[in-house]
Amino acid sequence: MESDQQVHTVVFFCQQLDPQQDLHSRDLEREWGSGIRLFPMHCSGRVEALHLLMAVEQGADRVLLLTCAEGRCRYREGNLRARRRLEYARSLLEEIGIEPGRLELRMASSQSPRHIARILEPILREPWSHGPSPLSMGTD
Amino acid sequence: MITGTRKPMEEIRAMIAPFGRVLVAGCGTCVAECASGGEKEVALLASQLRMDAKLRKISLEVGEITLDRQCVYEFIDQLTPFLENYDAVLSLACGAGVQAVAEVFPQWVILPGLDTGFLGETREAGLWLENCRGCGECRLHLFAGVCPITRCAKRLFNGPCGGSRAGQCEVSPEVQCAWHLILERLERQGRMDCLEEIYPPCDWSRHQGRGPRKIQREDQRA
Ligand code: SF4
Ligand code: SF4
Repeated sequence: MESDQQVHTVVFFCQQLDPQQDLHSRDLEREWGSGIRLFPMHCSGRVEALHLLMAVEQGADRVLLLTCAEGRCRYREGNLRARRRLEYARSLLEEIGIEPGRLELRMASSQSPRHIARILEPILREPWSHGPSPLSMGTD
Repeated sequence: MITGTRKPMEEIRAMIAPFGRVLVAGCGTCVAECASGGEKEVALLASQLRMDAKLRKISLEVGEITLDRQCVYEFIDQLTPFLENYDAVLSLACGAGVQAVAEVFPQWVILPGLDTGFLGETREAGLWLENCRGCGECRLHLFAGVCPITRCAKRLFNGPCGGSRAGQCEVSPEVQCAWHLILERLERQGRMDCLEEIYPPCDWSRHQGRGPRKIQREDQRA
């Protein structure tokens, strides 16, 4: 199986998760190198199916959408909306034969803000079943 | 607003199969409002088509454009400079838009990317309801702004059938009974007398059976 570092992961996340995300994201990108790209959002509910699809089209093997914990969205329902958008984007991938599981939503477990790397690292270290995107196979 | 839903991917694939360069053309009005053919939906479909072609190792160039409207010649003309670069246009407008574009550019292949739906309203985000059949003889003033032809399963003009339960239709319990709504509103407006008249059935000859309808107004002509 591929090691985690070889998987190109794009992370969209609610910046309420880590008010210092600006600084911390850079640390994380340094540590994980080109394997990870982070996109903070004012609220995860701002995510559009198009963001998720474009990430896949542009070479992401895995797209993570990190939202605040259940019931903790500052804009009340942003994280629920995010889930619906992600489900829609998944259905669009499925239509063209790309595993919908490449798009994942994770809700923060903790209620209080944390270093974004501390939230992401355990997720990135979990075994992941998909491997390189079929879009990248045989092209580069 | 005219609603539409995107055609299944398989159908779209089959339509565009003979063409190597396809322009996905949205319409920024009705179908943008019902989230099936506006700029965002054009971008989503274009992205899907590019990925799909790559996966199936097909060479396909996909362009994107969204016109304000596809049913008005002034806007359709915005396509003119781009068409040379494409073999076909996949329109995400309603059927009227597709046909108007095809009329202006008869030498080009214009394909429908949507299945056109109904005349409706946006009731809430993500919910569109049919409420007009375009019968050609609007009587909404008599029915407190609720169309019995469209919203009553039995198309009754002269009062409820009596089968509704708690304000829901007996034919489709998930739908509000149109006559329940009509009565409630007429009562609130103190206009129950509207019901005393006997209304003849709709004159469908205005609607169908004589070919496509047209409206021609001299005062609007150039
Ligand atoms: S082309 Fe159809 S969808 Fe677009 S504005 Fe005209 S009627 Fe509405
Ligand atoms: S009466 Fe005819 S025109 Fe009026 S809303 Fe009903 S179907 Fe539409």
